[in-house]
Amino acid sequence: MTDRIKEQLSAFLDGELPDPESALLLKRLERDDDLRGALSRYSLIGAVLRSDGDVPAARQVAARVSAAIAREPTRIGRHAWLPGRVALGRGVAGIAIAAGVAFGAVMLVQQVLTAEPEAPAAVLARAEVPPVQPVSDDGGPLDPPAESYVTPPAADVPAGIAPAELANYLVAHYGYASPLVRRSVGAGLISDDYPALVDAEPPGDAPRP
Amino acid sequence: MSLRAGIALSLGLAALPAFAESGQEWLARMGAALNNSSYVGEFVSESAERTERLAITHRVRDGVVSERLVSLEGAGRELVRENNEVVVYLPDQKLAIIERRSGRSDLMGALPQFEGRMASWYKVDWVGRETLDDFGPTAVVAVRPLDGYRFGYRLWIDLDTHMPVRSDLSDGSGRVIERLRFTRLQFDNDIPDSAFEPALDRRKLRWVRQSPQSDDVAPAWRAAQVPPGFRLSMSGMQSVAGSGGPVNHLVYSDGLASVSVFVQQAAAGKARPQGTTRSGVASAFTTVVDGHQVTAVGEVPPRTLKVIATSIRPAGLATGSRPAAAANRRD
Repeated sequence: MTDRIKEQLSAFLDGELPDPESALLLKRLERDDDLRGALSRYSLIGAVLRSDGDVPAARQVAARVSAAIAREPTRIGRHAWLPGRVALGRGVAGIAIAAGVAFGAVMLVQQVLTAEPEAPAAVLARAEVPPVQPVSDDGGPLDPPAESYVTPPAADVPAGIAPAELANYLVAHYGYASPLVRRSVGAGLISDDYPALVDAEPPGDAPRP
Repeated sequence: MSLRAGIALSLGLAALPAFAESGQEWLARMGAALNNSSYVGEFVSESAERTERLAITHRVRDGVVSERLVSLEGAGRELVRENNEVVVYLPDQKLAIIERRSGRSDLMGALPQFEGRMASWYKVDWVGRETLDDFGPTAVVAVRPLDGYRFGYRLWIDLDTHMPVRSDLSDGSGRVIERLRFTRLQFDNDIPDSAFEPALDRRKLRWVRQSPQSDDVAPAWRAAQVPPGFRLSMSGMQSVAGSGGPVNHLVYSDGLASVSVFVQQAAAGKARPQGTTRSGVASAFTTVVDGHQVTAVGEVPPRTLKVIATSIRPAGLATGSRPAAAANRRD
């Protein structure tokens, strides 16, 4: 799979791939098993990044694939260059692709969630230095909140807080952070690979006296 | 007993410390050192995403704590703290952000005692002694979380200075997710004020002030459900860069870990769907509740943020916070 195809997949999952390119990508998906596998993996990565690894998030990504495919027959009908039989076949294939993506992403997420946690080591002071690993949720179901007050997500805004917003909130949180990790939070704030902090000024901005 | 065994036993006994070492005692010594020492040094912060070298200057003088962190890589970003004022300097963006709070005892707080209710959520273990290449012998203490709602710590405390020269942060399953280790540490009781001046031209910066508009106001929002041990410790209003309006700021804490919750009116068409963002040891979970964007931020596992953020309600509807179910409790 070429880098260009990978970029197209990524853009497609972000909803940023132009329609003509989306149509070509869907055609390719119908006949390319490897590409469908890659789409599942990318869906998982996107779902985990945008959520905290829960399965419904993976399903949302698959739903986006399904919605894009659902638009296809309309476009095909408008150009009227495919016989109905083929268009129907394309619709069925599209559903299969979406189902495959959903199944693959959900299975992968479930594997992540049900993975055996590492047993806490019976640690000795001179034990091996363990590797540093990414932050992960502990897994296990959470109790649902007492009341259902959460409104449905907006359709056109990416899930989760943007990194720049997170930085602004972290500055506000810094003083309350645990004294054992406050320096880590500070180090994260001034790390060079941290994104831009603000893109708008709040009320009350003022030059430093 | 053979002579050889007797000698070995004698040597072994002689090598033991004169008192039973206690993790609690070593944490108390470390807390005192952190509260009273002035020093300069360098440390490395390592996580799966990045490795960063930083310089630190820390001074305690007449009860006033000053600290300057400087990234030793790239653009030379800095964070300077003087008591309750924090300034983040971003020369690459020609930007400085100021966060200033009135003197609150729980702000920039010291290390808590792991007794009383704290003992219900954390277990302090004496691990042993270990000699580090850069610092010689250290006392190793583990602060283990007793459930999946908070992180754990392992600390290497220098035997002479009682300073933590290395710390590992681990998640609920014991995996290390961040390591912070000093590579140089030098005590200095005469650090001048000039050591806390940023090494950049401040006149060229755009200044953004994130300040509380009021602290200790009656909370307009509250969490109906919190992980065991977490309590509301602060409620106020403040401005946050880029937020476009006043923000409710709530802080929930278990005595060590803390979670800030920011609640603001969701802009029409710009509300962010529910999701988690991570940055090193800190995470953020955002959701929309009753037309308001609710964002929980903290150095805790994402599940903790989710429990709190999704249970935020207008204060009139949330009568007290009930604890969430136990999560992977390990006694």
